[in-house]
Amino acid sequence: MAGFEELSKGVIGGNQAKVKELTQRLIDEGAEPLEIINQGLIAGMSIVGARFKNGEMFVPEVLMSAKAMGSGLEIVKPMIADADMPSIGKVLLGTVKGDLHDIGKNLVGMMLESGGFTVINLGIDIAPEQFVAAIKEHNPDILAMSALLTTTMLHMKDTIELLKEEGLNDKVQVIVGGAPISQDFADEVGAAGFAPDAASAVELCKRLLN
Amino acid sequence: MTTTRSMYTRANYDVYQTTMWQMLSDDQCEEIFFTALELLERTGAEVFHKEALDLFDKHGCWVEGNRVRIPSAISQWAVRTAPSRITLCNRNGKRALLLETNNVYFGPGHNNSLIIDPLTGEVRKPLKTDVAATARVCDGLKNIDFAMSNGVPTDINPEVADVHAFEALVTNTTKPILQGAASVEQFEAIVEIAAAVAGGLVELQKNPFVVLYVETNESLVHSEDAMKKVIFAAKNKIPFIYGTNLIAGNTAPATPAGAIVVALANALVGITLAQFVQKGAPVLAGGLFTIEDTENEITPLGAPEISLMCAGMANALHYLGIPSLSFGGSSDSKMSDAQMGLETAFSILHAGMSGANLVHGCGQMEHGLTGSLEQLVMGDEVMGMTRRMMRGIEVNEERLARGVVDVVSPGGHYLGEEHTLKYFRKEFWWPTVINRLRIDDWTANGAKTLGQRVKEKTQNIIKTHQPEQLTEEKMAKVNEIIKKLEAEAN
Repeated sequence: MAGFEELSKGVIGGNQAKVKELTQRLIDEGAEPLEIINQGLIAGMSIVGARFKNGEMFVPEVLMSAKAMGSGLEIVKPMIADADMPSIGKVLLGTVKGDLHDIGKNLVGMMLESGGFTVINLGIDIAPEQFVAAIKEHNPDILAMSALLTTTMLHMKDTIELLKEEGLNDKVQVIVGGAPISQDFADEVGAAGFAPDAASAVELCKRLLN
Repeated sequence: MTTTRSMYTRANYDVYQTTMWQMLSDDQCEEIFFTALELLERTGAEVFHKEALDLFDKHGCWVEGNRVRIPSAISQWAVRTAPSRITLCNRNGKRALLLETNNVYFGPGHNNSLIIDPLTGEVRKPLKTDVAATARVCDGLKNIDFAMSNGVPTDINPEVADVHAFEALVTNTTKPILQGAASVEQFEAIVEIAAAVAGGLVELQKNPFVVLYVETNESLVHSEDAMKKVIFAAKNKIPFIYGTNLIAGNTAPATPAGAIVVALANALVGITLAQFVQKGAPVLAGGLFTIEDTENEITPLGAPEISLMCAGMANALHYLGIPSLSFGGSSDSKMSDAQMGLETAFSILHAGMSGANLVHGCGQMEHGLTGSLEQLVMGDEVMGMTRRMMRGIEVNEERLARGVVDVVSPGGHYLGEEHTLKYFRKEFWWPTVINRLRIDDWTANGAKTLGQRVKEKTQNIIKTHQPEQLTEEKMAKVNEIIKKLEAEAN
């Protein structure tokens, strides 16, 4: 249906009003809700992700696109049973203990959601025990930890150690990110992956689940 | 955006839109101008051209032999008669550079006898293909507003080399061109070519894309060659620069104020002669100051006094309402190194802030002996940064942003706001060769220094940039003029 492409463009342009209008029109015309999501909203957002990675789009524009996509999802979601919502995997996300920074982490969350993941965002200042409790509750495929400070990033290691003690390290893959984090650090603390930016984080998660 | 501002508009609201280097106050400019007038009236200047001497005599100046003394009233009349603004167009006749108020435009230089080969790094004499490459680089750089030769070609008969340089420029860029020449005969051919490109002399006068660069290299001495060129440019109503090259401490007083006085007196001779020939003849003044470096016995182009004197001269010319030519973006370094970077950056910032209309000289290394396109490419980046500084802080209701601050609330971030989306691209300057990557990404991209990135960008423009071509019809006319000239020269 031609309307999907237009809807994608609305997402890319970050135009909330247009996305709402087009989503509603597609529904009225009898389009499948899942197709609206996959071929319209997510298709647009994956182009945004690619452009962001290429340096053609920037964070404020990506956020506007994510908001636009969200406004379309809001309309479609009630028409789909929870179990039918497309998801390629579940990611548990949080900023580590003692660290109150969440801009980058939230951007990663948004990009993952746009990429088709289910994201459970625990927020900031999450202690290793809280991460473990949440893993037990939600059974995610991936745990994604964020830190902005060199002092707090050490808690990533604490969390990974606790996962091992609890015997959860086989059930969930851990990825880490944030300004002071490098691939070397990720290897050192025993994380399964590291991504330098939000767009790469989506690719990383897809790679890990394949 | 929600606002709580009242209907009241403040009376006489002061606006400082742009940062400005006001080196001299209006009172100081007046003092400098009056001193130059006194100098011309008392000491006078030497003029070595019969026609010019006759013109000065006829219009009420005191002429004894070659010495011309100009009554102050006549100099003042000439300043009033000369236009306070000149518009330069691009090659297609579109209005491009408004040489008025404190508008600043940047470009390269000329007069260097060597160049650094942009592909091999070899220092050698410039060829016509180098001028063409310079034009393409000027054409491809966002912040370069006009083109110059960056070295007269040495593979051409010197009697017509400047015409060939002009041809190489005009066929490889649409940007306005500042063109010097070793003889008035070459100026004639250059104007003939420019007129052919513009669609006739009158079209060229209406929408000029070339400025003739007339230089005087001495203090209060005006050669036959310079005077002939002034008369030619004025008669043909083609914008020209009467530019001085003075060395403080050698051909001019060591004090910046004294050097500016002499430069202004020099300029007034050219401006006045032009107004005698053609009332309203479009003329720019200014040029280049340097100092006598007695330690090394050279005249540097990266010295801070150059920026200082150029800014002072620009202030004085702005005070008089004469469009100005200034100098910036050069260095005494021999290669693309840190000295090149800092002298270039410092002088471009200074020239930009001085509000001089045309700032030439970027790409001049080693006291102006050697031309470097890499320096021009790096200079382009500095010009971008300088222009961001010059755009200043715009203060208005929406930019004050009280609405969005309230929406975001304390501790929040502005990344996802419409306000940010609207302004982040235009309020921030975006680098091209400056590198801000994290070290991992920088290493992954080859760990290149600024010098390497500039070299790559320069070579990339030379190899890939395609300037707009002249129409075949115009190209044929240009070739015809060149052919005729060659035949005459042989």
